[in-house]
Amino acid sequence: MAAVKAESRREALRIIGAVGSTCAFPFGADQLYGQQAGHAPGGRFFDAAQMETLAKLTDLIIPPTETAGAARSGVPEYIDRVVSVEKEHQIVFRDGLAWLDRQATSAHGKVFRDLDEEQQIAMLTPLCEAADSNQLKKPGARFFRSLKSMTADGYYTSRTGLVDELGYKGNMAMAGFPSCEVKEH
Amino acid sequence: MATKIYDVCIAGSGAAGGVLAAHLARKGVDVIVVEGGPKVNTRTDFNTHAMPFDFPDRHIPTMRAGKEGFDSERTRGVGGKTMLWNAVAWRLSHRDFKGRSIDGAGEDWPLDYADMAPYYERIEREVGVCGNLDGLEDLPDGIFLPPVPMKCSDLIIKRGAEKLGVKTIHVRKSTRSVAGGGRPACHFCGNCMAGCDVVAKYNSADVHMIPALRTGKLEIKPNSIVREVMVSNENRATGVRYIDRKTGAGGEVRARCVVVSCACVQSVALLLMSKSRLYPTGLANSSGELGRNFIPHFTGGVECFLDELTGKPATDDEGFLDHAYIPSFMHNRKRDYARSFGVQFNYQNRRSVGWAREIHGFGKTYKQAVKDRYPGFVVFSPYGEMIPNSASYIDLDPDRKDSYGLPKARRFLAWRENDRKIFQDMQQWSVAILKSAGAEIHRVYDEPMPNHELGGARMGSDPRRSVVNADCRTHDVPNLYVVDGSVFPSASEKNPTHTIMALAARTADNISDRLSRRDI
Repeated sequence: MAAVKAESRREALRIIGAVGSTCAFPFGADQLYGQQAGHAPGGRFFDAAQMETLAKLTDLIIPPTETAGAARSGVPEYIDRVVSVEKEHQIVFRDGLAWLDRQATSAHGKVFRDLDEEQQIAMLTPLCEAADSNQLKKPGARFFRSLKSMTADGYYTSRTGLVDELGYKGNMAMAGFPSCEVKEH
Repeated sequence: MATKIYDVCIAGSGAAGGVLAAHLARKGVDVIVVEGGPKVNTRTDFNTHAMPFDFPDRHIPTMRAGKEGFDSERTRGVGGKTMLWNAVAWRLSHRDFKGRSIDGAGEDWPLDYADMAPYYERIEREVGVCGNLDGLEDLPDGIFLPPVPMKCSDLIIKRGAEKLGVKTIHVRKSTRSVAGGGRPACHFCGNCMAGCDVVAKYNSADVHMIPALRTGKLEIKPNSIVREVMVSNENRATGVRYIDRKTGAGGEVRARCVVVSCACVQSVALLLMSKSRLYPTGLANSSGELGRNFIPHFTGGVECFLDELTGKPATDDEGFLDHAYIPSFMHNRKRDYARSFGVQFNYQNRRSVGWAREIHGFGKTYKQAVKDRYPGFVVFSPYGEMIPNSASYIDLDPDRKDSYGLPKARRFLAWRENDRKIFQDMQQWSVAILKSAGAEIHRVYDEPMPNHELGGARMGSDPRRSVVNADCRTHDVPNLYVVDGSVFPSASEKNPTHTIMALAARTADNISDRLSRRDI
């Protein structure tokens, strides 16, 4: 059973104000970065090279399959909007991207976005494992967690992610709600 | 020109204010509703049918950004929180009204179920509440429209709960399951809390106040933030002072009777702000109890993926959010705490996937893992009853003021042993029921979270220990009433709005009787 992780708990505490004072939005919605960014203005925190790296990174997290991946679904632009309004995110991303390039250069003599995909996946795997197991002190783990969270938020709130990939069917007027049959066990 | 003196001035236009206004106006009483926010048109002012990707920052659809002045934190706007509520409608039972007599904790209401039943019925007939007749002692039946079928996911959970001897029922909501009263049936678009664009879901503006305007007896004064209830040296409420939200100018409304219905926290704050020579610590606060006994519901929560739906194609099952409910089942079980909890579940919808970031891994396997889990995601939310304690209260911030220069209300909460025990037990039961149903547990919330705000101006028969009497009339001032969640002496575990509306209907009778007897 997964207990609430440290970062999630911090986010849960932020939600309390909203939940305690008015009707809560359905769970899971409150924590989307876009929701918290307070309706972000235009974005443009990242330069062109950083955007290129972000496109590569987000596509490694959610790659194209039968449906488009993160990069073609507007995720780098979404992350740019979210990051552009919060100092804390800006530090994590600026430092994280620079750190990733330094690691790539010292291991392979090239910046991250110029590595081949196998090398890129090999570099991200330990970061993801550290983030998933909540070992946020490990190098790059906090950056990866923010990156992955924003990628997931951005992708699964895009038309590609929600409708094409997940098959969202709602938001339609129904004449009546259909009955369901469930087998006895 | 002489200032008009209304019969009744109501501060606030939500579930309580809206019902009171309509009921009084229909009886020929001259009523004015003073509301801090703008008029709201549910058909045009919300983004009800929008999707996250319709917005560049992908936010969840809600009030249109152009709706200036609608305060979503305190829900200022004509109709108040009924614009955004999820419309769950329970009658409280004898056990809820007389909890202290039964288990010794908290406080009894000075009312019992028999006092309230006719008013619940009246509200159900006016509003249209869908639900099933379940014959449960602790969750009395009412006058219901047909229930809405449960979702597949509800039925899977129901089957799991049954194995543990726990009953699941159809939810009861103030949302029309069949057309009537000039309102259409719900069309199950799944966005109830972003405003209902067809008013299948009840709101107090469209269902109560706007129709009552035809009586010629009701006036609605929007954009007027009440900052003080005025009281004369003869100890009579004489009206309210307000701030014009747009111009910042001050104004007064005078009335023979004043009702405070601004919702729990804001009602308490308004009374605390209304200091005078007679009431130096806040109006109607001779007991010193004003602001105390703050008892919001606390929720737990478990997020899970139902095995039976994992890997299946997604279906259109947003419906009107939650379709089922697990009523309190602890009353007849052995336990080491007072009171109980009930479980609302499945009120997430399928257009927010906030959990996806917590699924492990990255790449193709990650993408597939999210897709597989998507159709089976369910949030299970037990609601517990809090016992009042001295560290849980509402007061005014001595330093911080809002943009109108009014002191901000503060809320203090401390969970005590009984609350903690309920929380532990309801979380354990939630996990057990979901496992019995066949679920991958994703996340178990480890702290209670406050929800429905209740208490702060509690009702009671002893003027030294309570703020209002059984008629919602303040003990201190004979023509001043408080009607909303703040008067609840005990919260029960059930969603409060239906009871707030029934109390408003009862108070309307009381006020009109007193006006006709010239007792006010």
